[in-house]
Parts: sequence; C-alpha cells; structure tokens
Amino acid sequence: MMRTIEIFLVILIVTGAFIISSFFAVLPQPRSVSPLNLRRIALTTLQTLDVDYDLSEIVFKNESDPDWGQLQVALSACLPPNIVYNLTVYEVQSGGGGQLYLPIKSISNAESLGIASDASSYLVASSNVTFGVIPEKIGEHGGGGTLYILNCSDANGWWITGYTAHSLAEDLYNLLSLYFQRTIMIQNTTQLGQILNGTALQGEILQNAVVINTCGEAVPIPAGYYASSGVGYDPVQNSYARYCHTLGQRIRQYNWTWVNIVGYPLYYVSNKGLFPSEHNTWGIYGMRHVGPAGLNAFLRGLDNQAYAYNSGWITSELGVVYLSSEALYYCNYYGIYPSSYQTATRALPTSILSTYHLTVTSYVFSQVGSWLPGAVYRHFSPGDTDSTGSLFALGLTRTPDIRLTALGLLFDYKPRLYRSEYTAAGTSRLVVLQLGQTGGV
Amino acid sequence: MAGSTIDHLISVTVFLGAILLFISLFNQTLQTAILYQRHRNLATKCSDLLDNMLLNPGIPVNWGRSNCTPTGFGVQDPEFTQYKLSPFSLMRLRSSYGQPVYYPKTGSYYSNITMGFGNFLLVSFTQAINYSTVAKLLGVNNTYGFQLTITPIITVSVKEVQSKNPLKISVEVTGTGFPLANAAISYCFLTVALAEGGGEYPSYKTEYGTTYADDKGSVVLEFAEVDDDGISYAFIAYAHLSGLIGVGYHERVNSDKQYIIPFIDNLEERKVLIAHSYDVQYFGPPVAELSYNATFVLLTEDFTLREMPMDNDTGKVGKVNYGEGKPYKVVTIPTYNPGILIITYRKSAVEGGVILMPWGISSMAFPVTFGEDTSGKEWVATDLRQVIVNRVAYQAKLALWSLESYPVVG
Repeated sequence: MMRTIEIFLVILIVTGAFIISSFFAVLPQPRSVSPLNLRRIALTTLQTLDVDYDLSEIVFKNESDPDWGQLQVALSACLPPNIVYNLTVYEVQSGGGGQLYLPIKSISNAESLGIASDASSYLVASSNVTFGVIPEKIGEHGGGGTLYILNCSDANGWWITGYTAHSLAEDLYNLLSLYFQRTIMIQNTTQLGQILNGTALQGEILQNAVVINTCGEAVPIPAGYYASSGVGYDPVQNSYARYCHTLGQRIRQYNWTWVNIVGYPLYYVSNKGLFPSEHNTWGIYGMRHVGPAGLNAFLRGLDNQAYAYNSGWITSELGVVYLSSEALYYCNYYGIYPSSYQTATRALPTSILSTYHLTVTSYVFSQVGSWLPGAVYRHFSPGDTDSTGSLFALGLTRTPDIRLTALGLLFDYKPRLYRSEYTAAGTSRLVVLQLGQTGGV
Repeated sequence: MAGSTIDHLISVTVFLGAILLFISLFNQTLQTAILYQRHRNLATKCSDLLDNMLLNPGIPVNWGRSNCTPTGFGVQDPEFTQYKLSPFSLMRLRSSYGQPVYYPKTGSYYSNITMGFGNFLLVSFTQAINYSTVAKLLGVNNTYGFQLTITPIITVSVKEVQSKNPLKISVEVTGTGFPLANAAISYCFLTVALAEGGGEYPSYKTEYGTTYADDKGSVVLEFAEVDDDGISYAFIAYAHLSGLIGVGYHERVNSDKQYIIPFIDNLEERKVLIAHSYDVQYFGPPVAELSYNATFVLLTEDFTLREMPMDNDTGKVGKVNYGEGKPYKVVTIPTYNPGILIITYRKSAVEGGVILMPWGISSMAFPVTFGEDTSGKEWVATDLRQVIVNRVAYQAKLALWSLESYPVVG
C-alpha cells in the first residue's frame, strides 16, 4: 500500500512540474508566429507615396493645406483594410551639437495601433533647398596638386576627330580644375619646353603634377633643345623617338603623371613651326610619324634605361571592353557617367609591368587576358616605395571621351567630396509611419 | 507477502501509466514549440525571399528586355533602386493565372495574362520564364514552394452607363482599403472610324482630357460625338493622387468573334505577331479578312497619353485572315518604354473594333500571378511590399510554404 501511495505522490509532483512548466512555456499568439513585416510595408508605402516627390512636397506645406487630406486619402487607399496607421511628421532642427525632432502634424485612422505595431522613418528634403559639394584638392595634404593641360596652339592632334585639342582642354578644365590646387593651360610648345626645363609658369609646384596631352596620339614637341640631336632627335634612325625618351626621363624626374587620352601613346610628334612641310602620312601637316618606337622609348626613359630605338608594336586590338567595378563605383561618386563599355584597339600588354618596373594602381577598364585597355601605371624603382613618374594610358579607339580621362584621374587620386549637411535647419523633415494590425489574435 | 506483491504490481502499473501520460503531454508542448520555430523560420524566409526578388534586377540586369534565360533571378528595374520593378521582367514571368493559348501558325504556346475581351497580353513560352527555372535560380527548388502575386493597388473601374447620345462612361477609383477621393483622372478616348475616307484600313480619332473624381472616387464622363451604339471605341484612364497611380480601360466593339489577337513573339526585337482570332478559336463561317491599324501610346510625365509615331515599315497597317496560306503579320514596337499598343480592326464597312495590348505590364496595370497554387498547402507564410512598376503603384505578395512535410499538431 505504501508503494502505491508513493507513486501517487510522484504523480502529484510530476503533475505540479507540468503545470508549472506549462505556465512558463507560454505559446505565442498565432499572429506573431507568421507576422507581416510591418516595418517593410511602412517603408515601401512611404517610398510609394514619394515616387513623384508628392510626399516631399506635402510635408512642407502649411498644416491647414488641403493636400494633407489628399495624403490621408492616399495612405488609406494604399494600405490593406486591416492595417491601421499613424503618420507623424517631425521638423528636424540641428544645432548645439545635436538634433531636435519637433512634431509638426500627425494623421491617423485609429485611436490605437493595437498591441503590436512597427514603424519606419523616411527623411525628406525640401525641394527649394540646394546641397553643395566641396571637393578635396589633390595635393592638399602633400606635394603637387598642379594640373597641366596641353593646349598648344602650335601643335596638331590626331585621333581626336570631331574635337580640337583646344575644345578638349576646355572640357578637361571644367571637369578637373575643381579637384586640383592649380590648373594651368600650356598654350604653346615653348611653355611645354619651360616646364620640361623645370621652370614654373605661374609659381606653381612642378613636382608631382599631372600632365594631360589633349593632342591624342600626337605629342607636342618644343623646337630647339628638345628637338635637337641626341636629346629629341635620333639621327641614326631619323626618328624623334629620342624626344619621347627624354620626356619619359622628365616624367621620372618630376614624378609627373602623363596622361594619354586615346590611341597609341606618343605615336607622332607635332610642332607646326618645326615640321611645316611634313605630315603624319595621313595629310596632317606640322606632324611627324614616330610609330611604336615613341612609347618604347618613353617607357625606357621612365625606367631610367638608356635610350634604344625599338620600333616593335606592343599594343593589341581587344574590341569591346568594360569599365571595372571600381571605376563604376567612382562614376557614381563623382557623378561622371561615360558609357560603361568602349572599344579598345591599343591595349597595352601586362609584360610592360615587369619590363619597366610599373605597378597598376587603378584599373579603369577590366583587364582582358594579359592586356590592359586603360589603367594608371606608376613606376617604382626596385627597392623604392615612392613612385617616380606615372603613365595613364587609355588605349581606346577614336574619338576620345574626355570623361574617361577625368574619371581615371579622379579614380586614381580619389579626392574626397564634402557634402553639405542634410539636416540644416528647416530643410529636412522626418516622416514616421507606424502600422498596426486590427482583428484576429 | 501477497499484499506487498499486489501493492508492488499496482504501483508499477500506475507509475508506468503516469509516465506515458506525462511523456505524451510534454511531447505535445515540445512539438508545438518546434512547429512554432519552423513557422517562424518560414515567415522570415518569406520576407527574405521577397526582398531578394524585388531588390535585385537579376543577371543579366536587362534580362527582361532580352530573349535570354537569366542566370540570377530578380525583378527590380535595373535603372532604379529601392522597390521599383521592371515592367518587362514581370511580363516575362509565365502566368499561372490564365490558360496558355496555342497559336497553330507558330506552333507555340503563349503565356496568358489577358484581362477580359480586348485586353491581351500573350507572351511566347519560349520567351517566358517558368516556375521551376526561377525556383532553381532562387535556390528553393524542392525545399520551398511559392507564389508571387503583383497586383495594382489602385483599381480604376470603367463602365459604360449609356451607349449613345451621349455616350456616358463611369470611372470609379478605389484603393485596397479606401476610395481614392478627388483623384485626378487623365484619359484617352479613341473611336474607330471603319468607313471614313473609304480607305482599306480602319482609321481612328483620339481625344485626350483630364477630370477629377468626386468624394466617392467616381466620375461620369460624357462623349456627345458618339451618336450610334455601333461605334467601337477604347477608353483608357489614369488616376493619380499623392504618388499613387492606377490604370483602367474599357472597349466596345461590334465584331467580337472575328478580331485581332496580338502575340508577343520576340521581346528583344520588340516583335508582335498580329493574328486572326479564328486561328485561336473558330466560330464557324463566314470567315472575313481583317484589316488593322496599330498605334502605340505612351504615358507622359504629366499623366497624359501621347501617340508615338510608327513608321510604315514597322507593319503598323496590314491584313490578316484565318487558315493555311494566310500568314500572320508582324508589328515592331518602336521603343522599350512601356506603353499601350492600340490596334483598330475592320471586318467590313460596319463591323470592326479595337483591342489593347500593354507593352510592359504597368501601362495597363495588369496583375501578375507567378508560381504554384497555394490551395491545399499545409502552412503558408505571406508577406507584402508596396512597389512601383514604371510609376504605377502595385502590391507585391509572396506566399511561401515548405515542401519538407511535417504534421501540424497542437
């Protein structure tokens, strides 16, 4: 009998344990098992109402404006009947190191939002407010910051069909001068000779400058010293490839970035005064053919190798190439939108990286096999961590899109953009939409 | 001795019975908790999957405008961010709403999102993306079943209330939860002129206008020039209020057996086949040749419809007939901007009509139902988003269920 009593005692204890555990193991309400994502619905509702900026317009209107009624009608119409809402608009006031949110107006279709609700907020800006952007200047926190744009009136261009070097220089000035400490137009080959000699034109810093050649495949050559035998002219080969070698040496000396906007770099040299009766074999006078020897000599000069004449063709025709993902990111950052695909007919080989101690710092176009359609190459002497000269070569076919040049440079230097505060007083309002469900459990 | 044995037997029996009972009770609580977790997980999965579909354009991003099969699924408009969907990607989803239509002259089936007589959207099965492909691309094949429904938030109901002298058309605008009071309504009224000028092809007149709905969201429009109930017409209305845009339409035809059916056959090349209705459904003799005249209209920024000129070489006019040796004709849509293809047709000098076809689902606010049927499923989680399809407000709803069966108890 005693055992039976003991068993009943055990049953009593286990029953007690079950009742107590059941008391704590409260099952959730059926609605919370599979809930609607009210937060997302609230956010997407606000986005829907603002699709044509109607919401942004209405929330800045006077509280008695009839458009508030329209907003309520639209809100009621677009939400399912079992959803109740409360939309509150706050004025955003900033100052004193903090922000203050003052309620302006509230509209609702129910006294309470039930036991469970969720909300989303949406910041809208007044349509009559403009937001400024101040770019960081290249060279602001270090040396350099000078942009030279070759706008030589005494030199002709090639593969810039449809443009002139002058119009390209103007466009580049408009696109890039904001980002540099000084922008200087090199108006003739004499001025080019001056800066090659290390003489500043307007007191600017020469070192670490960027030089953009707007003459396309041709490069302006100053008459005199830079066209003389052994400096600019190779009497053995009857070629001005020697000038390209000297140019490479100067780029190295001043740590410049030389920019080739289209085609085969340094394929011709141009000076109307120096070559009045010579043409580039295509009928453009004031220009002389150098061929692939120009780029080969330039790269040797950049790498501090002795001059040697090499007329070997090194580029490849790739066809359609695409902007790299990083370049696409910087398209959005700087608001420059060239076509994301271009035709490359003068892509450089990756073999130049090891031959001339170059490192690609920015891939403007995605690499295709062992070819680089457009990239910034920085030269680093073996064992040195500081660069000594750079080349930005866009091996695309004519005609040039100057926005790609601007994009590539900004991508490489990455100057920051300082945007004005969105929370300036009276310019922003915060809209909070809180949703709840009615009916059911 | 015997007493203690009996005591022992009774106590063991009672103990075993009690243990079994308690195991069953605790097991029930545990099972309910596990089920709760599974259902909760299904709801989370549903929300995530819906965002996955709506917040990425797929791979390649412009698959909606091409004939290729995507390698990544998403219906976001590649030109926008947020919950803005591509009207063409949605058009390529094989509809589970209407019965597929077989067109013998191409030997193909067409996905059917037709919304009543005269409002056709038929996309070739070779262009439409099927459910199993999408399930594989989303990684839910054999684990979850789903149905994606995209329905317009604003319903613009258009009805004829008086047939002539004058023609009266009522327009009623409602949302999912409330009428759209005082909504602005812009409309296009197109009347078919069958015999005018004695030309071979039907001509048409268009009239554009704007008006406002009353407090109940409705308005009645009068067209005094319609003095005969044999005049065929099409009426398209756009209602808008505070960012919400809805579309409604209505047609009246006097040749409702022999008419034109447009089939979208090549999205990439924007080719639409113009077929005779008897090739799809034969109603018996006499069979008449139909001449047609196609027009393409776009919704502009100020909510008015504007005609986009079509060159003659796009096949804008032509004749089609039923039977072998009578080939279909082809119209090339002039743009990838969403719009409406309006095709007026003539059977005889007194019989003809007009049909509409949206180019991109949003231009006529067509709904899309894609995926499996939800009926009979054990536990279905749903989630909603408000989305925009080319400025038209839609609601996207995903119903999701698990294919790994488990019993519902408790």
